[in-house]
Amino acid sequence: MEKKFITGNEALVLGAIDGGAEMFFGYPITPATEILEGWIGKSLEDKNLQYLQAEDETASGFATIGAILAGKKAFTATAGVGHVLMQDPVSMAENERLPFVGIIAQRGGPSTGTVIYSQQEVDLAALGGNGDGLRIVYSASNAAEAYELAAKIFSTAWKYRFPTFLLSDGYLGKQKTTSEFKKPLKPYPSEKILKESVEKPVHLRNCFGSEEEFAEVLKKNIADYKEIISKVAECESYKTVGAEEIIIAHGSVAASAKTAIDELRLEKIKVGLVRPITIRPLDCRAMLSVLRKAKRIYIIESAFEQFARLVIYKMPEIADKTKKMFKPAQGISPDEIIQLVKNNQ
Amino acid sequence: MEKIDEQFAMPACINAKSKPSLFCPGCGESMILKHLGGVIDNEKMQTKTTLAIDIGCTLLAWNYFNFDIIQTHHGRSVPVAVGYKMSRDKRLVIALMGDGGAYAIGLQSLLHAAFRNNPILAIVINNTEYSMTGGQMAPTTIPSEVTSTSPIGKNASCFGPAFHGPELVRQIANPNAYIARGSVSNPTILEKMISKAIKNQIDGNFSMIEILSICPTNWKTDAKGSFEFLSKLENIYSLGEIIKNDKKDN
Amino acid sequence: MTKKTTKIVLAGEGGQGIQTIAKILSLALEKTNCSVSYIPQFGPEQRGTPSVAFIQFGDEPIYYSQFSTADILVVLRKRALVSIDRFIGPKTEIVFDSSTIPRRIIQQNNKYVFGIPATKLAEEKFKSKSLNLIVLAAISKRFFDYPKNALWEIVEKQLYKKFAKNPEIEKNARDAFDFGYEFELENKNYSKAEFDVASGIIIKKNTQRTAVIIPKYCKGCGICIEKCPVDALSFGKTLGVFGTPVPEIDLDKCIACGNCFRYCPDSAIRVVKK
Repeated sequence: MEKKFITGNEALVLGAIDGGAEMFFGYPITPATEILEGWIGKSLEDKNLQYLQAEDETASGFATIGAILAGKKAFTATAGVGHVLMQDPVSMAENERLPFVGIIAQRGGPSTGTVIYSQQEVDLAALGGNGDGLRIVYSASNAAEAYELAAKIFSTAWKYRFPTFLLSDGYLGKQKTTSEFKKPLKPYPSEKILKESVEKPVHLRNCFGSEEEFAEVLKKNIADYKEIISKVAECESYKTVGAEEIIIAHGSVAASAKTAIDELRLEKIKVGLVRPITIRPLDCRAMLSVLRKAKRIYIIESAFEQFARLVIYKMPEIADKTKKMFKPAQGISPDEIIQLVKNNQ
Repeated sequence: MEKIDEQFAMPACINAKSKPSLFCPGCGESMILKHLGGVIDNEKMQTKTTLAIDIGCTLLAWNYFNFDIIQTHHGRSVPVAVGYKMSRDKRLVIALMGDGGAYAIGLQSLLHAAFRNNPILAIVINNTEYSMTGGQMAPTTIPSEVTSTSPIGKNASCFGPAFHGPELVRQIANPNAYIARGSVSNPTILEKMISKAIKNQIDGNFSMIEILSICPTNWKTDAKGSFEFLSKLENIYSLGEIIKNDKKDN
Repeated sequence: MTKKTTKIVLAGEGGQGIQTIAKILSLALEKTNCSVSYIPQFGPEQRGTPSVAFIQFGDEPIYYSQFSTADILVVLRKRALVSIDRFIGPKTEIVFDSSTIPRRIIQQNNKYVFGIPATKLAEEKFKSKSLNLIVLAAISKRFFDYPKNALWEIVEKQLYKKFAKNPEIEKNARDAFDFGYEFELENKNYSKAEFDVASGIIIKKNTQRTAVIIPKYCKGCGICIEKCPVDALSFGKTLGVFGTPVPEIDLDKCIACGNCFRYCPDSAIRVVKK
C-alpha cells in the first residue's frame, strides 16, 4: 500500500500505466484533459509510452482501435460531447469484439451542459452506439479505486474482448485527497489481433450482407457476453448487515452516501449501501441477496433515471419498495442524502 | 509455363477465394485493387502489408487479399491506419477509401494525417459519386453531372464545382509527402505511382494517390461509355504528381 | 383460417429485371383495388447478389412487408434459389426458368412446379433483354388472368424512357410480352437447363500464345472487348457467373498486348506469350 496526495485524474494515469497501457489517443475536453496532459508528462519519462493528440474524439477512438489491432494496450479518455463522438469508434469495437478501453469523466449534459460533474453518461457508456450495449462499464468512487480500476479495465478488455469503460467525473478527477493505493494484479497480456499472416490472413469486417448472416454474429456475441457476467460483475456492500433501508448508488454519489450512512448509523438509523462497481453488467445476484431483505430502497444518482433504469430492469422485484432521488448534473452532498432518509422515517 | 488455375489471371497476393467478387461488372475499384496487388507482389511486400478499408464500395474488398484487412467506418480508414502504423511502423499500411470517405466525412482525418506527415498511404478512389448507396452527389461530382441527389445536374454555385482533393492536401502536407493522381485508363502508370508511394512510406512520409475510376452501374454506361466519361474527367482532374502551388497574390 | 394476403416472391440475378417485374406487377395488382405491398430485398452491394422482391396483396391493408412462406414463388437463376428456398412451403406454386435451372434441384415434393425457358426464349427469339417481360406476362396470365392490354399499358408507362430511345426496343418488348402471355407453362417435360454458368477454365492455345478465360469470374462487363486494340475479343455463347455472355478470343488476331488482363476487373482473362 502506498499513500499519495494526488487528484483522481493523476490516479487514473498511474493506474493505466500500471495496468500495462502503452498508447493514449485523445482530444482536450474538460474534465478529462488532465489525463491527456498527465500521460504526455509520463511519456517524457518513459519512452515506451506513446500518444497522439488527434484532430478530434472520433479520430482518437479510431486511432485507439488501430493500435489495439496491432496488439498495443491503447486507450482514450473523454467526456461530454466527446463521449458522444466516441460512439462511432466504440460501435465498431463492439461489433468486431475489440478490447477498446476508455475513461469517461462525466460532466453535465446533454450538449455542452457544464464542464463540471454529472452521472449522466451512464446510458452512453453502457448502451451507447447503434448496438445492444455489449459493453463493460466500471464506476470509480474515489481516487484509490480510480487507480485500481484504471489498471483493471485493460485486463478485463483484453481477456473478454468487449469495449470496457471506467466512469469517473469532474469532482473525482480534480479533487486532491490523500489515498492509499493498492498495487494492482498482474495485467492480462495483450496480443496482435491482426496477426500478419499470409497463409491465414485476418479479415475483420463489421458490415454483413444479410440479416441471417449478421444474426449469427450477434447471437455469438450475446452468448459470450452472458457468459462473462458472473466473472466480471462486481459490487460492494457497505454497512448492510442489519440494514432495513438500502441505498443503491455508484461513483461519487456512493462516496457521498457512505458519509451519510456513517452519520445515520450514529443516530441508530439502520441504513446501508449497495454500490455497483460494474454498472454494466450489474452483479444482480450479490445485490439482490442484500436488497431482498430491505424494507425500503433508495436509488440516488446525479442524472434523470439512467442508473435507476438499469437497476430496475434487471431487478424488477425491488421496484415497489424503491424511492428515487434524481439530481441531474448536480452534486449530491451527504446532508441531502441524510435528509432524504430522515424524511422517509 | 505457370500453373493454370483460378489464380492464373490475378496477382499472387489476391485471394482467389474472394472471387467472383461483390464488385459490380466493370467496376474500376476492382481493377485498381488488382494493380495494387500486382505492385505488392513486385515489391515483395505481401508479408508486410496491412490494409484498412472504408465503408462504401471499398467495404467489398474485406477479403480481397491474402494479408490482414480491417474494415472500418465511413471516413475512418485513415485514423485507424494512423494508430496502427504508430504501433507497427515497419509494416506497409494502406488506407483505402472513396470520394466520400476522403473528401466529405473523412476529410478532416485525411488532412491531419498529411499535416502530421503520418507515414501511411491513402488510396482514394474517385468516381465522382457515392456508389454503394446508389450514386449520390459527391464533392468530386463535376458541374452539371447528374447523380441521384443532383437529378438535373450538379449546380456548382450551390454545391461547389469539382473538388480537387490531392491539390488541397498538397498545400498542407509535408514537402516530402508523395501526392499524385492516377487513372484506371492507364494502369501501367498507376502501378508506377503506387510503387513510388510505397517507397515514400518506407522513407517515413505520408503518401496519397487519388485514382480516377469508372462506375458503369451508377453512371449507367457500358464499357465504351465508361471510358468516354473517364476521359472527360481527366480534362478536369489532371493526372500526374501534384506539386505545391506556391503562387502568392501580389 | 382465412388467407389474408397472397404472398409472392420473385428472385433472379441482379440485372435480370426482377424488380421491374415486381414493380409492374404490384402496380397492376393495385389497380384492381386491393391493398398491395412491395419491397425489394436490399443489402449493401449494388450488384452481385441475387435480386429478390416481395409482394403481398389482399383486401385488408398490409402493414408488414416480410413473411415466412410464399404462395407464389418465381425463380429465374440457380444462384438465386439459395436466397429464397426458405420461402417454399408444401403448397407454394413455383415458377422457374427451366432453361437455366434443372427441375431436379427445385423441391421434389411440391406439386405445383411450372417451368418457362425464359432465358432461352429471350436469347433465341427476342434480341433485347426481354426476359423479364416474358416472365411478367406469363405469370400475370396464369395466376391473375390479368387483361393483356391493361397490363401492357402499365409496362409502357414504366418503360417509356427506354422505348423512347428506339422504336425497335418497344416492338421487341411487345413481341416478347405477347409471347409470354400466350405461353403455356411447362408442367412436365421441362426444357433442358442449357443456359447455365460454364464451369471450369477455358484454355485456348496456338503456337505463340495461350489464352485463359475463367467464366465463373467473368461478369460480362465487356471492358476487355473495348480495350482490345485488334478486335480479337467478342461475346460468345458461354455464360459467366451472372448468366451474361463471356468473351471468346480469336488467337490469330491476338497480339498478346496484355490489355485484356490489364483492364479486367475480375481477373477472368489473360493471354501469355509462349
